[in-house]
Order: sequence, then C-alpha cells, then structure tokens
Amino acid sequence: MLSNTGPVAKLYLSIIHDVIESMRELFLEEGLEDRVLDDLRHLWESKMMQSKAMEDFRKNNINSSNFVLQLPDNYGLTEPEPGASLVIPASQNIHRFPVKNTSETVATFSLPAGLAYPVQIPAGVTLQTASGQLYKVNVPVVVTQAPVGQQPVSHPTQKAPALPSAAVPSSTVHPQQVEPVSAACIPQLPLPETPSSKEIKQQQQQQQQQQQQVPAADSSHLQEVHSPPSEATTGENNLSAQPEPVNFSSTASPSPCSQVLDFQLSTEEKALPQTALLKTKDIDDILKEVIEEEREKAQRDLDYSYSELSDIVQLDGAADNSDMEEEDVVPLEENDFLGMINAEAIKVLQDGDGSSDGNSISSSDSEGADKPVEEEDPLNSGDDVIEQDIPDLFDTDNVIVCQYDKIHRSKNRWKFHLKDGVMCYAGRDYVFSKAVGEAEW
Amino acid sequence: MDSSNDDALDIIITNVVATFRTRCHLNLRTIALEGTNVIYKPEVGKVLMKLRKPKITASIWSSGKIICTGATSEDDAKVGARRLARCLQKLGFKVRFSAFKVVNVLAVCSMPFSIHLVDFTKNNRPIASYEPELHPAATYRIKHLKATIQVFSTGSLTVTGPNVQNVATAVEQVYPLLFECRKPLREKRKVN
Repeated sequence: MLSNTGPVAKLYLSIIHDVIESMRELFLEEGLEDRVLDDLRHLWESKMMQSKAMEDFRKNNINSSNFVLQLPDNYGLTEPEPGASLVIPASQNIHRFPVKNTSETVATFSLPAGLAYPVQIPAGVTLQTASGQLYKVNVPVVVTQAPVGQQPVSHPTQKAPALPSAAVPSSTVHPQQVEPVSAACIPQLPLPETPSSKEIKQQQQQQQQQQQQVPAADSSHLQEVHSPPSEATTGENNLSAQPEPVNFSSTASPSPCSQVLDFQLSTEEKALPQTALLKTKDIDDILKEVIEEEREKAQRDLDYSYSELSDIVQLDGAADNSDMEEEDVVPLEENDFLGMINAEAIKVLQDGDGSSDGNSISSSDSEGADKPVEEEDPLNSGDDVIEQDIPDLFDTDNVIVCQYDKIHRSKNRWKFHLKDGVMCYAGRDYVFSKAVGEAEW
Repeated sequence: MDSSNDDALDIIITNVVATFRTRCHLNLRTIALEGTNVIYKPEVGKVLMKLRKPKITASIWSSGKIICTGATSEDDAKVGARRLARCLQKLGFKVRFSAFKVVNVLAVCSMPFSIHLVDFTKNNRPIASYEPELHPAATYRIKHLKATIQVFSTGSLTVTGPNVQNVATAVEQVYPLLFECRKPLREKRKVN
C-alpha cells in the first residue's frame, strides 16, 4: 500500500536532515555560506523526490519551505457554504476536505499534512494547519508550492490568529468586498451634493488614498498586482455602469452609504494597524515560523493525518496505486538473485574477511575416495577456451542492500532470511527490518 | 571384455568429478565480488561457482586448483571446466587451463533381479565386504580397475571409478557374480 512509501520518505528525509545538520559546522568552518548547504539540501531532496516517482510528492510537500499564496484569476466574492464539504479544485490534484463547522459564520477546515499543492481555497474560510494555527483567508487563494530556490515573494493575506469574536471575522470578511461598494458609494456623494463636493472630494481623496493604501498594503502581501487595479476597475465599472442606480440608492439610502463609509473607515483603521503589524514583523519570518511548526507537527502527525487523508484523497495520473508491499521479496527473478548474492557476498566479506589461505582440499562434493592426482600437463593456452554462450548474467536495477540472518540452499532452491535493508525494486525504494524470500536458481 | 550377459543394462552416469589447475594464484575475494553465480565460503577458504549450461559446480581455491563436479559425462566435465577457466580469465586472472583430469565417475546401474548379499559376500570373500549394521550395501572393490561397487539387495548398483571406461568394465565384471547370487522370485532359499 501507499503507506509503505510514507515511512521510507520520512526516513530518507530524516537522513538528509541529519547529514546536513552535521555538516553545517564543517561548512561554516570552511567559510562556506549557509546558503550553499541549503542549496545542497534542496538539490538532494529534489533528486530524491524525482527518483522515487510521484508517490512521495505529497509527503515532500509538507517539508517544503515555500508555499506561495496567489490570488486566483477568478477573484470572486463568493462565500463558502458552511457545513458542506468543499471540493477544492487544484491545478494538479483534486482534494476533498471535510469542513468542520465550528461557528456559524466561519467555515474552517484543516489543512491536512498530506496536502498536495496547489490547492485553491475559497474566500472567507479559516485555515487550521496541522500545527493548530488558525489563519483567516479573506480572499480566495491558491496555495501552491513554489519551485525550489524561489524566494517566497507573496505572503498570505491577513493572518489573524485566533480571531476572538464573530464580529471581527464578519467585518474582516468583507474589507475588500466593501471597498468596491464604498468606491461606488463615494462618487455618488458628490453627485447629489455638489456644494459640499469639495469637502467630500477631499474626503473622497483621503478615503481613496486610504483605500489605495489598503490595497497597496494588500498588494504588498499579494503577489498579483492586478488585483487593486481590478478593484479600481470594478469600482470604476460600478461607477460608470451604475451611476443612475447609485443615484437612486444614494437618495434612498445615504445613511447606509455613510454607515458603510464609517464602517469602511473603522475597518481600514483596523486593517492598517494589522498591516502595520504585519509589516513590522517580516513576512518571511512568519512564514518560516509557520513552516517549522508545521513540519514538526507534521512529523508527529504524519501517519495519523495521512491515514485520514488516504481515505479522502483521489490521486490523478502519475501516482500509481500498485500495492507493492515492502516484503514482496518472494517472486524474485534470477537477476535479483544475482544482485542479492553479490550483496550477500559483500556482507559476508565485511563480516569475516577471508584471508583465502585455505588450501585443505576437504571438498564435501567428492564422491568416493580421493585418488592421487597424476601430474599431466597439457598446458592448453588461453586461446582455446570457449566463450560463455549463455550471457544470462546482466546487470539488474533491482538491488537489495541488507544484512542476512540466514541464507539456505538445497540443490537449487534458495531461502533467504534478511534484515535491516533497503530494496530498490522497479524504481521504488522499500526499507525493511526483516525480509523473507525464496528463489530458484 | 564384454560378457554377453549385460546386453540391456543401462549404466547411468550421475556424476563426474574433475580437477584442473589455473597455474596462477586466484583472489577469492575478487571472484566472490565480481563473479556471477558464486558462493563465497571464507570459513573454508573457497568459492563455489555454479554453471548452468553444463550443470556444474566448481570449487575454486586460491592456489588455483579447481574441482569441478556435477557433470554427466567426461566431455561435459571438460567443457564445463574450460568455460569456468574462461570465466576466471574474464575476471582478470591469467588463467592457463592445465592438468585437467577426471578424478571420479559415479554411475548407477540396476540389475533386473534382487541379490542375496550374504551369499554374494561369502562367495567373494576378500574382495567383497558387507556390514549390514554400518551400511545396507555390500562393497566390492576391484583393485586393478580401482573401482568400487556398492551392491544393494534390491539389485541396484552404484559404481565409482576413475573414468567411465573403468566403471563400465567393473559392471561387466561384477555382473556374473551377482547373477549367481540372485534371489529368484517365488523361490525360497534356505539361509545357511
């Protein structure tokens, strides 16, 4: 089952981690930068990931240090359905996550450890990562994995851990939704009230500046710069497309508009300190903290969440679903056998280095009595020798490197009791602590 | 030499043991690491190499002496031994195929009758020996042929000799003696 590859990947990554960490001092002593070591690590991990087909793709995403939040192209104002299980389309994988309805207005779901990026998350949901942190996603985001080496340019929007009240979520849900409305509201003010247009224009300019500040602040967080222009354009579209209805609504409800404006101001004021707060705390550091926590938690919760996930996740395409068990050593081919014999020989040699001094001819195969050897000496030279006409011995890719408990042979039937090994079979790695096999030669 | 009694007797050669020398020292470790189909026995100090085509198992010693077993004929043994030497040559050793000698041939044969071993042994007292407590077969050694025949009461024979010809000769030699002491069916003989 796929669960077999989980521990393998975990083991390999832990090995990589240990090696890199132990090398860190040496590298520093040599005067090499830390970045070199990190590059090495990324290279190593990426090569390892590639070599083990796609089944480890999801595992490795947990430990990836980059994830990029992007605004999707369809920037929408849709609200999630609380209580429904969200089907989140992603560019590569399709995932279904259970939605835990913790509150009425806020739909939360856990970001499982075995998540495969990229994942598109609708607006207005609270993400809870494996480490327990709550992240409020105010806009629809697409969580992708950046390629190795890419600096995390974008930053998650509006991280508000552990939002205490429902009012605040509901208010922060719609800051950007409010803005186009307010953008629509603002120009309608000068329309009916021309005498105070100047003041309002000043107000409008201030608010627009503030507005633009907030989108600017957001754009510093968001990678897509087109979003504020899109907001502006939507605002303008609202302006141009709906002047008359605005007029109507303005006369009918100036107070809601002003309320909205006040609301807007209050939220902007709230948003500004938040953004200021975020700005002071470097986004990279936040990301790194999150990643570290996630990684630690993921390593602890890996199996748990993975087993949960394996029921839910659907894999597409490259990831195969062949049930290769880690102890599937039984139907070995001759080629594997050869590799194993070599491996066994290596182990044997390492254990007891034969000094190859045995000259005693105590051959157990000898039938009957040993006759004295007559010293004939035809001295056929090496020219007469015959080639092996069955080149059935070619190098194989299936290799087991392990230690042996017992290797037994009866005529041409072999039985293997192996321990503590790694088997590379059909390109995939399997790690075992015990393996039993049978083969015929 | 042919006695006309064994017109339809099948002598089946089951094993031919041969030795030869490579005239050079062999590094068993190299053979064990790089050779194919090898079993390294460091405790004894030899490497077993098994060949498929003539079904042969060879014990290779570091001195360069090689014992080749499992062949079904003398020619097979020689072909196998040469193949083996070729294998070692490919591994990088300066092998010279020398002193090839078939050391032992084991054949089995079945008489169409059962044999009364006690009588047989009595008739051939110094040459044949029979200790039923030790081994259920009577042993008949032909000195000048250097052949040993083990006679079972069922009529089966196992013959070992230095070469196939000797083995055949031995069978022919012993046949009349066995024929005398056969146990006829449905006849009771008194045991003296």
